[in-house]
Parts: sequence; C-alpha cells; structure tokens
Amino acid sequence: MTESRSTAAVVRATMATVVHEPVVAIMLVAAFFDGISGNPIHALLLGGVAIVLGRDIALGEPNPPIPLVERGMWIPGGWTVAAFSAAFALVVGAFPRYSWPATVGVVAAAAAAIAVAWRGPLVVHADPGPLPRRGVVAWSTVLVAGALWELEALLLQPSLTLDSQQHPTISTLTDPVLSTHAGRTLIMLAWLLVGWFLMRQ
Amino acid sequence: MSTHDVTVLGYAVVVVACVVLQLLSLRPGTRIPGFTTLLRRVMRGRPGRVGVITAWAWLGLHFFAR
Repeated sequence: MTESRSTAAVVRATMATVVHEPVVAIMLVAAFFDGISGNPIHALLLGGVAIVLGRDIALGEPNPPIPLVERGMWIPGGWTVAAFSAAFALVVGAFPRYSWPATVGVVAAAAAAIAVAWRGPLVVHADPGPLPRRGVVAWSTVLVAGALWELEALLLQPSLTLDSQQHPTISTLTDPVLSTHAGRTLIMLAWLLVGWFLMRQ
Repeated sequence: MSTHDVTVLGYAVVVVACVVLQLLSLRPGTRIPGFTTLLRRVMRGRPGRVGVITAWAWLGLHFFAR
C-alpha cells in the first residue's frame, strides 16, 4: 500500500472486496438483518468488523501467519482459561439476559477475542492444504442446511421480534434454560470455552 | 406430529449429520475432513480467522446482550 493512494481508490477497492470476499459480504448481510431486527449493538459489531476487514483486505495489509506465541505474547494455559471462564460466567450469568451488565461483559469478551484473532493465530498448526472436494461439499451442505432451517423458523415467526412455539428458532428453544442463573452460567461457560477452542485453531 | 416437533427434528437431523461426518472423517483414507481440519483450513488467513471468531462473538451477543 502507498500513502499516496487516494481515498476514492481505497473506497473503490473496499467496495470490490465486499463484493468478492464472502466473509465480508456475509457479515454485512448479517449486520443488516440484525439491525432491522432491533439489535443495533449486534449490527454494529458485525458491520464494524466487516468494514474494517474489508478495508484491511483492500489495502493489502500484511497478514503475517506468525503465531502470537512466537511473537512473545503470553498465552494462558487451559486450566487458567477454564478457571477464568467459570468465574466470568458465574458473575456475568448472574445478571438477566439483555441487561446492561451482561451486555458489557459479553461485548468485552467478544471484542477481546476479535482483537487477538486480528493479530494472528495463537499457535502453530501444519497447513492441512486443499481439502477433498467431496468432504468440503458434504460439510458445506450440512452447515448451510442448518442455517437455512434456522432461517426458515425465523421467517415463520409472526415477526422478526416475536417468537413462535410452532416454529421455534434455536434461541426460542434455549429460552427456558437461559432464564435461570445456573442455565446462563453453563451456556456462557460453554460459549467461552468454544471461543478458546476456536482461537487455538 | 406438530410443526414444533418437525422444526426440532430438523435441528436434530443437522446435529446427527455433523456427528456422522465427524465419525466418517476418522476412517483411514477418508475424503471427509474432520471439523477441526476444516476450521484450520478456513482460519489460516485473517479474513477466515476473524470471520469465525466474529461468528462466535455474535452468538454470545445473540444469547446474552441487548
């Protein structure tokens, strides 16, 4: 990237990235639908990451695949993460869903994870190389089918903001569990540990 | 069977399909990659890595944040 690159050129390159980079496009579409569903904070997170990522790709920012552990970053051990996650889930899970304390806690954890992922992978893994087409198609089919099934349930609700027991989304099905402190603590702990698992990939 | 049951059955089918694919990936000489291999392939660059972590982050917001 050169510093003399004009703003218009950067905007054009960013727009081209949005069109050609599926991750950016998917996040922008998700941000739009979350926004019209009455979730401005979710839309802001998705849209913000999409725009910055699109700009990053368009500018050809360096993306060194050097794991953070090799750059001197301290990586906590599994038990430390588990203990911290349990304490976090116990405290934040004590607050009702959609309350401001719960929102601040979850947004902080999410933002920290995205910031770390932005800097690079945590650990070294051998590149698995191109995957067999049949396997990719099989996994894609199942995952897309799951997403479409959820979308179908969402669209069959009376409205985007009104749940339906006849066509429950996953959120509707988890509502009873998440209405208790114990349930929120367990689900939040699972969410944090899944995040840790993903960050180590 | 009610529409509620059919909807839940659909989710269950997707979960079972994921488990089956994961089990198939364990066979020697298989052409089905495991879920972890799939993730590592997708997350080898910044867009994929940030995209997956953002999807995870969104889940947390969806369930807990206003």
